[in-house]
Amino acid sequence: MAADVTKTETTSNPGVSKRYHDMWKWDEVYWASHCIDCYPGNCPLRVYVKDGQVVREEPAGAFKTVQEGVPDMNPMGCQKGAGWTRLLSADERVLHPLRRVGERGDGKWEEISWDEATTEVADSILDAIEEVGPESIVAPSGCNIGPLALVGRGKFMGNLGGITLDLNAEMNDFSAGLYMTWGTFDPVSSIDDWFHSEIFLIWFGNPVYNRIPHYHFISEARYHGCEVINIAPDVGPSASHADYHMPVRPGSDAAFALSMCKVVIDEGLIDEKFATEQTDLALLVNTKTNKYLRESDVTEEGSSRQFYAWDARSGQAVLAPRGTLFWGDVEPALEGPFTVDTKDGPVEVTTVFSLMRERLEDYEPEKAAEICGIDADAIRSLARKIATKRTNILGSLNNASKHYHGDLIERSQILLLALTGNWGKHGTGMRSWGSGFLDGMLAFFLKSKRGPELTGNMLDMAEAMMQMTLQNDPTLTRKIVSVEQSRNSEPMGFVPPVFFWYRFAGYKEAWDNADWHDPSMKRPFEEYFNEAVEKGWWRGADVPHEDSPPRVLIECGGNVLRRTRGGSKRLLEHLWPQLKKIVTIDVRMSATALHSDIVLPAAQQYEKLGFGIPSSHVMNLTFCDKAVDPPGEALQEWEIFRRIAEKVEERAKERGVEPYKDSRNRTYDPKTLHETFTSSGEWLDQEVIFDEMLRDTAMVGTIPENASLEDLREKGFYRWQGLGLSARAVAQATDPQPDETFVPFRKHVEEGEPYPTLCRRSQFLIDHDWFIEADEHLPIHKEPPGIGGDYPFQVSSGHNRWSIHSLNTANDLMLETHRGEPHVVVNDHDAEKLGIEDHDLVRVFNDAGEFKVRVKISSGACPGQVVMYNGFDNYQFPDWAGPNDAEPGMIKWLHLAGGYGHFKYWATEWQPCPVMRNTRVGIEKA
Amino acid sequence: MSASTTGTRQIAMVLDLNKCIGCQTCAVACKSLWCKDEGTDYQWWCTVNTMPGRGTPKDYEEMGGGYKDSIPVRGIAPSREDFGGGWKFNHSEVFFDGNPEHKPLRVAGEQPQWGPNWDEDQGAGEYPNSYFYYMPRLCNFCTHAACVDACPRGAMAKRSSDGIVVRDEDRCRGYQFCAEACPYKKIYFNYELKISQHCIGCIPRLEQGVAPACARQCPGRLVFVGYLDDEDGPIHKLVNEWKVALPLHPEYETLPNVYYIPPLAPAPFNEDGSVNEAGSRIPPEHLESQFGPGVHDAIDTLKTEVEKARSGEASGLMDLLIAYNWQDLFPDFTRDPIDITWD
Ligand code: SF4
Repeated sequence: MAADVTKTETTSNPGVSKRYHDMWKWDEVYWASHCIDCYPGNCPLRVYVKDGQVVREEPAGAFKTVQEGVPDMNPMGCQKGAGWTRLLSADERVLHPLRRVGERGDGKWEEISWDEATTEVADSILDAIEEVGPESIVAPSGCNIGPLALVGRGKFMGNLGGITLDLNAEMNDFSAGLYMTWGTFDPVSSIDDWFHSEIFLIWFGNPVYNRIPHYHFISEARYHGCEVINIAPDVGPSASHADYHMPVRPGSDAAFALSMCKVVIDEGLIDEKFATEQTDLALLVNTKTNKYLRESDVTEEGSSRQFYAWDARSGQAVLAPRGTLFWGDVEPALEGPFTVDTKDGPVEVTTVFSLMRERLEDYEPEKAAEICGIDADAIRSLARKIATKRTNILGSLNNASKHYHGDLIERSQILLLALTGNWGKHGTGMRSWGSGFLDGMLAFFLKSKRGPELTGNMLDMAEAMMQMTLQNDPTLTRKIVSVEQSRNSEPMGFVPPVFFWYRFAGYKEAWDNADWHDPSMKRPFEEYFNEAVEKGWWRGADVPHEDSPPRVLIECGGNVLRRTRGGSKRLLEHLWPQLKKIVTIDVRMSATALHSDIVLPAAQQYEKLGFGIPSSHVMNLTFCDKAVDPPGEALQEWEIFRRIAEKVEERAKERGVEPYKDSRNRTYDPKTLHETFTSSGEWLDQEVIFDEMLRDTAMVGTIPENASLEDLREKGFYRWQGLGLSARAVAQATDPQPDETFVPFRKHVEEGEPYPTLCRRSQFLIDHDWFIEADEHLPIHKEPPGIGGDYPFQVSSGHNRWSIHSLNTANDLMLETHRGEPHVVVNDHDAEKLGIEDHDLVRVFNDAGEFKVRVKISSGACPGQVVMYNGFDNYQFPDWAGPNDAEPGMIKWLHLAGGYGHFKYWATEWQPCPVMRNTRVGIEKA
Repeated sequence: MSASTTGTRQIAMVLDLNKCIGCQTCAVACKSLWCKDEGTDYQWWCTVNTMPGRGTPKDYEEMGGGYKDSIPVRGIAPSREDFGGGWKFNHSEVFFDGNPEHKPLRVAGEQPQWGPNWDEDQGAGEYPNSYFYYMPRLCNFCTHAACVDACPRGAMAKRSSDGIVVRDEDRCRGYQFCAEACPYKKIYFNYELKISQHCIGCIPRLEQGVAPACARQCPGRLVFVGYLDDEDGPIHKLVNEWKVALPLHPEYETLPNVYYIPPLAPAPFNEDGSVNEAGSRIPPEHLESQFGPGVHDAIDTLKTEVEKARSGEASGLMDLLIAYNWQDLFPDFTRDPIDITWD
């Protein structure tokens, strides 16, 4: 640099024109957030209003330090949030009730009045009930809506007897491997707890894209001494700030994890105390059958839920305590074999650990390197680090579950954490997502009257029940009781969509295709499906039955045509013709809205009251105020459902529709639908409902005692003081502290509380017959099946950066932050071989379908990989064929298993979910 | 130093590229606040690009401007196409006007070939040693501002109170000498008003004690703002004491006042697949081409301090970069805007 560079004269001190000063002025400020599914989101913002219009938003930056020595959570926000104001007046916005003109999907509409619209919807609902029954009314369960909309949809569908498809299967955000091991899939630590990690594995996630408000805890942990390691086939965005990138071959992650397990064991780095206490590794297994040794094997009157360990001290098999993880005087042996006298004479048993260790013989680092493509020394080195440092596998939203063998991958990852003592301690663990901590909202579903009395009674009753249950069986804990109650109550609201899809939505053909399943599926898929139904494993949840074809579809909060793996084409061909009426409630035009008969305009953020998704990820109940009225004729979703309910009631009376039953023998009366929906006029004012939810939540003690809408309007958010009474909250198994970051499972680790699984421990042996048949009773690596056919490329995916699902995808501002249309990322050498240049349009195809899309070329894409970020809406692709048209949406047959300990459906938990990663495709220039 | 020698002060920024995740929040925050009026539709005063890449405007590094041995280098003013953006879409045609042939949502009219973030996440290198990092750019508040010197109208000036480079939009005639002279190509032309426009340094906010929109809204917590001469402030410490914050393209000789903490990257692999612990995935030459020769020492310092943190030692640098309290990023501009009441 030249030293003699002169300075620009700085004698004047001019300002900028008044125009700019005026641009930054406002009349009013409101608290806001975006109460949609940008999970975990919950950014507290301020919305600035001028001349009655929202002009912009900005993070509040109002968080106090939680724990000394840990960075605060400010400011929290993202680019979608920073540009949200633009959505309020966006060109994709729907402002009036619309009725289709011409064919479905023609994109031609007439504006109709709310009265006309609700009458048409109400009549089609009543027609469907009269023709088929209530289970012909179906709601997918998107959650890109706030709590009041969720409650509105839930109450409406519940009081009508319709079915709501479980969102976790729709989105395939259910981590089956976590559930198999822990009995719940959703233990979640707070984002600031990541700061305590010493090893942070970005494995099955892309936080640079989808944890924008929270990523700084990872970069700050790195500056705090944490090593950040990205394990992924592609050198993608989340590799950019990693200390190491491990280019794992697509779908081979279980081999990588298992190989690290082997290193930990072989090098004597195993945390034996943790492993024997927290897991089933010390439990005894019959070496012939691969089944746990049960008390019922040993004595006539023995329990089938009572398991054994080998006490090294006394040299005999002893019953494993069910009420605690701690072993007391017993010294459980980790390694077998032993001989035990059973009813049928002496049998050889060994420990789960020994069986697992045998299995790990196949994963010597040199051998595993050939499978997973990671250098053997790198495997060893990482294993040693994990064994000695506080390790966190991805702070949130593990998406291994989107792989066919995601369960095996997750079980292998958890095994690694188990062997190294890596959960229930700050900075450790493995995360999916968790929510449902707003007791006031849950209570509201059940309440018919305002006021604290009813809530008080409900709470007293629940507590009395809890006490009784705990007294009856002292081995139980609150967590187990809460979870078991959820598992054993008849499914209300959600049902697992698998039955609906197989029977009515055209999935049968794909799922019955054995070539797209793992070769260890010994019998035809259909046989497993029928066996699961016939054995009653899904009783009550296996609706709709064959005699209940769908007639009305109500989409509110999602975009089923865009989102459903298996494709819009499949749904349009198989499902759509059966539907007499398709209704979409949305703020904007979605692919589903475009193919609907009626589109109803909903209020946007800032135009209605809302709470962010209550989750321990952010530890705050975040509030969004109503700053302005919705434009046009848009209405808050609760009000929309209320109006439809009112019309159903009115038309049912006029038409003389009689009370009816659903397949589970529950009776509904459409002539009182509005009365039940509003509890006889109790729930008409949304502010009243909000106040009620807040007060009831405060009664549980999770937010301040004096919580109210008025108070929240001042404060903007409350930090959770507790997580509440819901099964999901109790299952976190940690009481949050005001001055500490949050990490789940402390009660398991510190107090020895048992897990809600069959064996009451973290369970690596799944001795269900189907699993043994498939050789999946223990974690193992299996190659991803050739879903889609015999094609050279594999699709990987993940949330995009530019939109929350497809909600912001058509927005001009967001579109300008990328190429304005969808793209896939392809490796540079692959592109060269295919004769493809950057920005070319290509055809991506397989035996399931095809779509056309632009190409971005990057050396970061793994050879043989096609990276297709999801969230683009189908109408952004030529012919409106999106990536899901080439994804057959396969499910793993084993996930239909039941009749086994914790394998029982409850909302968002145990159920099969369609996958799409590693789908095989070909590419060619279009 | 500037305060003592000239009696003026300079506001500077440090952007920590190791915290930047390319989320575009700064860009959207800026645009949502300032670029909403006519002629600003394509303007993004703050942009974030993937590096190595061609940047915004396209190939801006080849457009000239700045100085060479103190002599102004004549540059070119970027064209509308070089910037791209300002797209209008066919929403109505796709959604509302009848579209039985299922035309997709596209930019109305001619299809774009470039935009503000066109080569996002493409990067460079050979798999598996590929790499990229993110680079937010805005006006550099240069000490030797080429744009000011180039303006024949005297419409541009460097403020004495904070060194922000401002334009008198009433005096500006849109000659674009400033845009030619600015080597960072951060000056846009307003085709409606026929004037040039650029980042105003969020002066209305600064004057109220509120941090600039790009800094205050940055969820990655990577934008430090403060006076360069404030020895207790983070800027001085990072730039002058630790010497880990470097100007972008110092060879342009405009003495920019936006500084960057250069990017670290994952350890590369050797040919045989083993990890090269000491290797550098981002070629040092590339880093030098961006941040000048000081970058090598800066990277070494960063690595040393990261290592210290790993071995449990205290590191003042790491603590500074962590910024435990968010407001430590801009200690002189911590006012919450909602505390302001307008008359
Ligand atoms: S969209 Fe979600 S993540 Fe982004 S600012 Fe809003 S609440 Fe935060």
